[in-house]
Amino acid sequence: MVVSLLLALPAAAGLWLLTGARGLDVRPARRTALAAAVGTLVLAVAVVVADSAVDRPWLPELGVRWSFGVDGVSVPLVLLTAAVGVLVAGHAWVEVPAGGSPATFLGCLLLVEAGALATFTARDAVLFFVAFEVVLVPMWLLISRYGDGHDPRARTGAAQRFVLYTAVGSTVMLVGILLLVARAGTSDLVALAAARGSGLGGAGFAVALLLVVGLAVKVPVFPLHTWLPPAHTTAPTAGSVLLAAVLLKMGTYGLVRLPVSVTPDGVATLAPALAVAGTVGILWGGLVCLVERDLKRLVAYSSVAHMGFVVLALATGSETGLQAALYGNVAHGAVSALLFVLVGGLKQRWGSVDLAVRRPALRETSPRLGFLLLLGLAASLGLPGLAGFWGEWLALYAAWVPAGDRPRVVFVTCAVLAAVGAALAAAYALRVAGIVWAGDRPDPEAARTPDTTGPERWVLGVLAVAVVALGVAPMVLLTTTGDAVARIVGAR
Amino acid sequence: MSALVTVDPLVLAPALAPAVGVVLVLLGDALLPRRGGGRWALPAAAAVLVVGAVAAATGPLRAGGATLRTLCLPAPDGACLWTADPRTSALQTGVLLAAAAALAVRHDGRPRPRDGAVTATLLLAATTGGVAVAAARDLGSWLVALELATVPAVALVALRGTRPAAHAALSLLVTSLVSFALLVLGAALWLTATGDAAFASDTAGLAWTDPQRRAVLVLALVVLVAGLGFKLSLVPFHAWTPQAYAHADLGTALFLAAASKLSAAAALLVPVSALAGAQIGGLAPTAVLAAPALASLGLGTVVALRQRDPARLLAWSTVAQAGWVLVPLTAPTAEGLRASAAYVLVYATATTVAFAALARTGARSLEDHRGLVRRDPLAGGALALALLVLAGLPPGVVGLVVKVLALAPPVAAGLWPVALVGVLAVVVGLAVYLRWFAVLLAPAPDEGGARPARPRSTAVVLVLGTAVLALTSALPHLLLGSLG
Repeated sequence: MVVSLLLALPAAAGLWLLTGARGLDVRPARRTALAAAVGTLVLAVAVVVADSAVDRPWLPELGVRWSFGVDGVSVPLVLLTAAVGVLVAGHAWVEVPAGGSPATFLGCLLLVEAGALATFTARDAVLFFVAFEVVLVPMWLLISRYGDGHDPRARTGAAQRFVLYTAVGSTVMLVGILLLVARAGTSDLVALAAARGSGLGGAGFAVALLLVVGLAVKVPVFPLHTWLPPAHTTAPTAGSVLLAAVLLKMGTYGLVRLPVSVTPDGVATLAPALAVAGTVGILWGGLVCLVERDLKRLVAYSSVAHMGFVVLALATGSETGLQAALYGNVAHGAVSALLFVLVGGLKQRWGSVDLAVRRPALRETSPRLGFLLLLGLAASLGLPGLAGFWGEWLALYAAWVPAGDRPRVVFVTCAVLAAVGAALAAAYALRVAGIVWAGDRPDPEAARTPDTTGPERWVLGVLAVAVVALGVAPMVLLTTTGDAVARIVGAR
Repeated sequence: MSALVTVDPLVLAPALAPAVGVVLVLLGDALLPRRGGGRWALPAAAAVLVVGAVAAATGPLRAGGATLRTLCLPAPDGACLWTADPRTSALQTGVLLAAAAALAVRHDGRPRPRDGAVTATLLLAATTGGVAVAAARDLGSWLVALELATVPAVALVALRGTRPAAHAALSLLVTSLVSFALLVLGAALWLTATGDAAFASDTAGLAWTDPQRRAVLVLALVVLVAGLGFKLSLVPFHAWTPQAYAHADLGTALFLAAASKLSAAAALLVPVSALAGAQIGGLAPTAVLAAPALASLGLGTVVALRQRDPARLLAWSTVAQAGWVLVPLTAPTAEGLRASAAYVLVYATATTVAFAALARTGARSLEDHRGLVRRDPLAGGALALALLVLAGLPPGVVGLVVKVLALAPPVAAGLWPVALVGVLAVVVGLAVYLRWFAVLLAPAPDEGGARPARPRSTAVVLVLGTAVLALTSALPHLLLGSLG
């Protein structure tokens, strides 16, 4: 029952802000949104502690049940989503973008959160698809209405590209789900995972292909990633944070939940291609980051690279690989949220984040921002002791020793190239640090960059603590996911 | 031989109500000419239609979910001319309510309709036909009912009296005549193939086993689909649609877009359910249904992308959605029939809301709707939800659910071309509806101009239609469960 409340609270609050309270002033609106987000976080903790679940008929005609619950794979993501929800609601004290009423903006944030929570808790394949689609319209609104005001045409283009790309992906996934449900005779994800693809007959590979391709758009996997950089560049800070920390996770979570669990044999056939695509994404993202001028776009490309590590780890098919993927997923959520809040803050201060513009060094004008930027970049390049390290390191190890049925040569090659990609990450992280953090000597005439204060400091502080905590105590997360991962891989 | 046929007026009530309504309106007009300019006729007709809708909706409840039959011939033949299963009753309810909505919008039209009695008569007559065709199982009543559903619509379009309306009516008339000729031919071929003057599974199944009769049966299906293609606006029989929608008054356009499409889909389900009942599948029937479906999906969606006039955009969207109605039938099964009926019901509800919003705002181009959500929350909000349902995006969950249902049968049957075109149509369709949706949400222009009149009966249609869409989005089972 609690899990129903978990979904209903942000959905109801979001819908209310969008409709009834559309004209609400910014102060009451953000208080409402924050209260709803905090309530959601409390409910999320309650759901995890009580292992709450709900299961009742919803669409008997299609055999679809209103079935939500959590397990080891979804617990970290549910908590991450709820926590990020609180942070983006709190970020409204820092910045509420122009473009429409503040209540609509906050309502959209809550609806995205509700859709993501429903996706992570759905235990039915068709329900999963419906939840997957819920985030589309609010996210589209966030980008197209509240995005970067400098270039309306680019904003519309980015929003449309986001919707159309992800809709192609999710509709392809829907065809895969329908084929799966028609062949297997059930849409219950638990039963489907238990069957491990038996009973699909010759359709197993087609199901796996459709599901992997459909979800790869959302992850995004190279070469289906081209919607992500423009979306990130134009989206408002809170939208970027949700996009990176929550929406992309829906793609990887879907890959674990659907193809990897349900059609392991089909995924085994596809694994080399998936590994190569992931590795190309790592290298491609890293190379683009070496030359990209727009800092926000740079962080977006680094996301492509990080998700490449996750996909590579998923493709290995081993228990370590799956653990690495889930760990990298959560770590990327925290790190990219930190970086996007930082970069969004810089953009708000400077008007643009063009790296070619010479600016006074951040370490001198605003040391707190500078330190946090260094921390984020260090985590992003995979420095030991920070969140990024474990995901990448475990992914490389898993690729070196893939599951028995995977072609070892391909995976070892991928591991080597991915290691090169990790070095590229160090190079571009240092490049950014050199330009922004070390920068030029401060010009006494130039306006100083104001340092973080008030709510922004809290938001950034929480994210920084999360980044350090994930890096120092990886076992907390790894043991949470351990049992579920063993179940997914176990019978192979 | 006490009685030739059994007659149960309660079962017949959905069709009897509008038929009696025709008589009442004509009587009233004869007895009280010029009273109120005949404006009393539209509300009276709407009331009659709602009574019919209640009768149709409660039919399955009275029968406990069983099939309602009446006009049955005496044994041993025992065939019933009126056979209404729950699916039929749901479609009939839809036809009657859509017609009532059309009357409500027509009632608010500017200039005030002066020929209320004529409009009401024509609309009631067309509705009678549309309701009867859904329950007809013999070729004769099916043809007559279908024609009764069509011809008054031509007059309704012409009634506006403008030159473009006359042109639109002429093209609709020619189209309907061709369509009728094809339907008669198709019915004759069906009779030749099966030797049965009714759409029945057993005789169709027998005919299917004989290769020669099978060829005739396939030909009958081709011709029937072509004939119905005109009424459903399937490519390549769609050309009249944008013209008629754009030049008829919005009430009539609503009737053509919602009630007419519902009755055409109900008519199509009659022969297809005979095929499905006999478990007739294979390449030929699939191709016959898939070809117009895919052509409509492709052309309708792509052309809708370029429209600036909302009525024309809705016309092309109708073409695309008609393709969606056919998609589940490409694999004729019981699930496919239900998916098709569910799809057309959801489409008709959303289109009704969209046309009602259009009538309330009087917009002639998409730009006129800029900031509508802020300026007129009722029309703007209702239109926004209707567009999301048509696009199949949450929070218009019911639109998404019927798309899932529609794609399930072809995917289960492995019809990959249908699934592929379906995926593309979903995505391009999103672009079509989001384009309009974005205008609704854009910042409103600053104009202090006079607020237009806010007609009451259109507002009722908007509120009820939005309530139906919202309720079925939360609980899709309410809709699907009513289809048996």
